[in-house]
Amino acid sequence: MTSFADTASSFIADRSDAAERRLAWSLFESLGLPSPSDEVWRYAPLGDLDLDRFAVASSPHRAPDSAFATQLCERAGLVVRVVDGFGVSAGDATPGVSVEFLGSQSSLNGESFLQRYEGDTFALLNVALAPGTTVIRVEAGVDVTDPIVVLNESSASASFSRTQIVVGRGASVTVVEYFEGGTDALVVPVSEYLVEDNASLQLITYQRLDASAWHVARTTGRLARDARLHQAVVGLGAHYDRSRNDAELFGAGAANELRTTFLGSGDQVHDFRTRQFHVAPRTTSTLLSKGAVADASRSVYTGLIEIEKGAKRTDARQTNHNLLLSRTAHADSVPNLDIRENDVMCAHASSVGPLDELQRWYLESRGVSRDDAQRLMIQGFFYEMLSALPAELAELVERDVASVLSSVAVVAA
Amino acid sequence: MSSTLSIDGLRVSVGDKEVLKGFSLTMRSGEVHAIMGPNGSGKSTLAHALTGHPGYKVLDGSVTIDGVELLTLSATDRARAGLMLVLQQPFEIPGVRAFDLLEAAGAERSTLRARMLEEAERLELRPELLDRFVNVDLSGGERKRAEMVQLGILQPKFALLDEIDSGLDVDALDAVARRLVAATTEWNCGVLAITHFRRLLLELPPTMIHVMGNGRIVATGGPELAETLERDGYEAFRGVIA
Repeated sequence: MTSFADTASSFIADRSDAAERRLAWSLFESLGLPSPSDEVWRYAPLGDLDLDRFAVASSPHRAPDSAFATQLCERAGLVVRVVDGFGVSAGDATPGVSVEFLGSQSSLNGESFLQRYEGDTFALLNVALAPGTTVIRVEAGVDVTDPIVVLNESSASASFSRTQIVVGRGASVTVVEYFEGGTDALVVPVSEYLVEDNASLQLITYQRLDASAWHVARTTGRLARDARLHQAVVGLGAHYDRSRNDAELFGAGAANELRTTFLGSGDQVHDFRTRQFHVAPRTTSTLLSKGAVADASRSVYTGLIEIEKGAKRTDARQTNHNLLLSRTAHADSVPNLDIRENDVMCAHASSVGPLDELQRWYLESRGVSRDDAQRLMIQGFFYEMLSALPAELAELVERDVASVLSSVAVVAA
Repeated sequence: MSSTLSIDGLRVSVGDKEVLKGFSLTMRSGEVHAIMGPNGSGKSTLAHALTGHPGYKVLDGSVTIDGVELLTLSATDRARAGLMLVLQQPFEIPGVRAFDLLEAAGAERSTLRARMLEEAERLELRPELLDRFVNVDLSGGERKRAEMVQLGILQPKFALLDEIDSGLDVDALDAVARRLVAATTEWNCGVLAITHFRRLLLELPPTMIHVMGNGRIVATGGPELAETLERDGYEAFRGVIA
């Protein structure tokens, strides 16, 4: 049997930028896979992860779209298709929008990818093994009316997609990053967003991978002066779903809203990490994380608010609510603050518990059964996340969420 | 079809305190009964206990609709037996839309949207507000109108209103009262209205008025009772209330 390292090595050898990739790979090897004693990985079932089960794909293996993906694409203004990390279709030309699949690129913060991700084992794998970078640029001043869908399909056993979205000055756009496939696979996407002065990006990341997948994702948004990034991250699939989402507010007056939500069932683990990093003054960030765990699933939410000296009149908020839907499910919530400026407003709140009894009673008092009331309320977590989407797209995703929920056992705690 | 709501000897405690101390009342479909009484007389406790609110403990008594005992039923089944409560402060249910609530409560999906729009029009509620999450980002008046939309769809045999006139402007009050009056003939809805104010009863003329004191009914009469109360306050019933 060929080892993961062998497939990685032959993938790298075929690339024109093999030297850089080898550096990333050797850094990955020297770091090694994290161990559960590592605080930031303590909830990951790393004992189950055997990289040699996976092989790096040398070319895309396109599988038929799911019915959901087909409907999603029908409602999009532009569909960018990425299979196993390979850009396969840039969609129809759209005024003010460019889509390119580029070779090795630098991170949107100006560093090389290697510098940027040198401490992050899985991101390093992406640096070494992503076939290329899908780069979507919206020209300054352009208001893209119809949403752009980036359709990420994984049929290979290991895939590494990399996406960059740059929204020019004063431009605005809505983007859906959608992930499906991933049966028995390792899926390690890295996305970066740069929202320039006074621009607006509405972003939905919707993860619907197979329940056997290992998904380790990282996104970073960078916000310039008066930029707005509204991001929703929805995790339904994968065996292990790790999603790290950072916002870096380096322009004065920038505003970030991040909403994350997940539903755990079976023995899934959802591991959400966020970092709200305020560098410039008068920046705001609001984080709302809501999740539900059923069966024997578990979740962890770890959020860090970091405020640099000089980021005066920053307003940063963090709220995390976790719902326990069975007696064997488990949720942890770990908020952290690191503040180096006095003139700021900061708040965090977290809770772990069952559904709100009075809200449930209200629904029941209208003749809704207990099961349906609970389902409606949990579904509501997700629906709240989707408010950024145009109605017909939101409706489609809502239906999909509802269909997943209908198969999950909800036990009154 | 005519139905009978019968409350007999109801005793309810909140925490360690007995608040309802043997409340009895019988009413029939199509009738409007008003319950008035000073603060602390047990009016809201009655409304919450009837619909199975988790904070209220029934100690004794019976509540039936057409002979079916409600107190042993879940909140869901009480609603399905024909009881609907509209609260002074309707709950916000983030992420849940009225459409989905009503469908889960048994409304026919294919005609639901059209019926909701029709109800909203009757209540002068902007139709786009129907798509908001239940009671989220609605003003006090909009909430009450939205609750009446649900009432028009669910068509309960008996509607229980817990001080829905508090904080309502005159227009909203009139719209809500008009809808309730229509309901008494459209599907013969019985209305049990708990209120502090005579204003609601001018728009929603009661068949009977009951005065509550110390956890039970202390006086019952016709509409003239509301006038007495407005003129003399609850002073007139002091002897019986104490």
